[in-house]
Amino acid sequence: MVMKQIALYGKGGIGKSTTSANLSAALSLQGLDILQIGCDPKRDSTRMLMHGSFIPTVMDLVRERGDAAISLPEIVYSGFNGVRCVEAGGPEPGVGCAGRGIIATFQLLEKFGALTGDVIVYDVLGDVVCGGFAMPMREGYAQEIYLVTSGELMSLYAANNICKAINRLSSRVKSKCRLAGVICNAKNQPREEELVAEFARRVNSSLVQFIPRDRVVQVAELNRQTVIEFDPGSAQAEHYRVLARRVMENTRFTIPTPLEIDDLEALAVEFM
Amino acid sequence: MTLKPSPSNSCRYGGCTLTGALSVTTHVRDAVTVVHGSKGCTHHNFSLLHATSLDNDVPVIPNLVSTGLSETDIIFGGEQALDRTLDSVLRDDPGVVFVLSTCVVDIIGDDVRMVCGKERGVPVIPVPTAGFLGGTFQDGVNKALIALAGMAEGSTANKARTVDNKERASVNIIGEKNLEFEINENYAEVTRLLSSIGIPVNIRFVHDLSSAQIPSLGAARVNILRDPALVPVGEYLKKRFKTPYISSFPLGLSGTPAFIKTVADVCGVDCRDAVAEEQVLQAETLAAFADLEGATVSFENALVDPSAVPAAKKLARALDLHIKKNGRPVPVPTTPPIGVAGTRRMLHRWRRAIHA
Repeated sequence: MVMKQIALYGKGGIGKSTTSANLSAALSLQGLDILQIGCDPKRDSTRMLMHGSFIPTVMDLVRERGDAAISLPEIVYSGFNGVRCVEAGGPEPGVGCAGRGIIATFQLLEKFGALTGDVIVYDVLGDVVCGGFAMPMREGYAQEIYLVTSGELMSLYAANNICKAINRLSSRVKSKCRLAGVICNAKNQPREEELVAEFARRVNSSLVQFIPRDRVVQVAELNRQTVIEFDPGSAQAEHYRVLARRVMENTRFTIPTPLEIDDLEALAVEFM
Repeated sequence: MTLKPSPSNSCRYGGCTLTGALSVTTHVRDAVTVVHGSKGCTHHNFSLLHATSLDNDVPVIPNLVSTGLSETDIIFGGEQALDRTLDSVLRDDPGVVFVLSTCVVDIIGDDVRMVCGKERGVPVIPVPTAGFLGGTFQDGVNKALIALAGMAEGSTANKARTVDNKERASVNIIGEKNLEFEINENYAEVTRLLSSIGIPVNIRFVHDLSSAQIPSLGAARVNILRDPALVPVGEYLKKRFKTPYISSFPLGLSGTPAFIKTVADVCGVDCRDAVAEEQVLQAETLAAFADLEGATVSFENALVDPSAVPAAKKLARALDLHIKKNGRPVPVPTTPPIGVAGTRRMLHRWRRAIHA
């Protein structure tokens, strides 16, 4: 099969890493070879797949030794069910240029030929704050972008902003980057699913999966596991497995049409 | 005089802030200038400064050191690289170290001032020179001069000397164009005028200066700016040292008597004889070029500072030349000719062009 490369973007704290890790876990249980790459200096994307341990990041190794002395096994770690995990890492908060760190990580992974497998899942920091964090969308890396959002306005606002970035990048001649859908990681607000589905429709996409808020997510995290591993029989685990199936079956990849802020607010008011 | 960059000639008038600052700091004899950025910024400027000084027949090997930032430094921040470079530079015992920033370190937000603030026993002076923030070559010059002037502040020895020296009137020459071909001729013309009224130069700030001379910056009775683009520096010095300034070297023939009068007034000396002699010299100068009378000329001024053109026109009228579009092209220097000597050099070139 053709290698699938997907990226999850969304507001900070919305649950991208939890969703990514559970998605990767569920995909691996379909018998697929999965590579998950955390693109955030906070480096906690793959932690649940690694049973709570923070793996050394690519940027940690570059900082200690320079990129010449690094080998592939030092940056790729095998987690739950063989999911391969990489953390880009980055500078300490408040110094340097984390965006350039992402670019350097991609170049290094490219050099090692590490970007292989059936599916690569890129879990990217909060917002597309600069060109560096748009890197996973560029140069033909992630071709399918999923927005993770709740029904809260600020979260939709961030998702809408990311639509602007995708829109800009997808207009480039050679760009294959497209919006693949919206994942609602719910805060259990009234009419949240309807709201996010309507938002998805308005930005020329669709709601791929509604994931309700469930305490099992926190309990699994406290046990340093994904929900898929911790409680495979739970309804929540089934939501993630459905998401994984839909991601694999998805063929609707669009150029998004971001909303004006006034329209976005009016939309949120409509579903209050 | 520096102009606002405009799309049609920004390459000529905008320039690199870093280069502007370097044209100043490399003229402090016992200084090392650290350029905080990737090594190309240093290499390129080294070449430019060296080649220009060779061209001007006063070879200078600019004392530059690059922090040589790599991609890793950009990702994790370049402050440590700067700290390391400063430690190694200080082993050679410089009188002062200047730290000039480049575009990339201001993009990633290195705290250059903080690193320079660490106590090292030698003054380490930061000059913010990231060009992408919109600064021009001239902004770099001004920022460097103001940063250097900071070294003259607060020392009590300096205050005492300032009072002493102000008794005896002297002037500072501020912001000479260290990269211009006629820098020493222009300086000589100004000192000729000053000595006609018995006023000495305190320091050339900054041309071939030692850092030990900087504390006497406040000792002059008046600061003479090279050109009006340095007014922000003049204002700064006025505020700090209460020293008034004259905003330009004297331009053309007509500038010199006025210049003598202004300096004499500030310094409280009599200038009547000097002005009378200067007027005689002007008449002699025009007489020496009387053979040009009646010629039809046009000005070659593609890259010229616009303020040079009125000065040239005025001179042409004084010599009874006709200015016509299809006249014999005569060169106008990039910056207006300074005083009688500058005017003479220009007229020699006109004569060559007219008689060619």
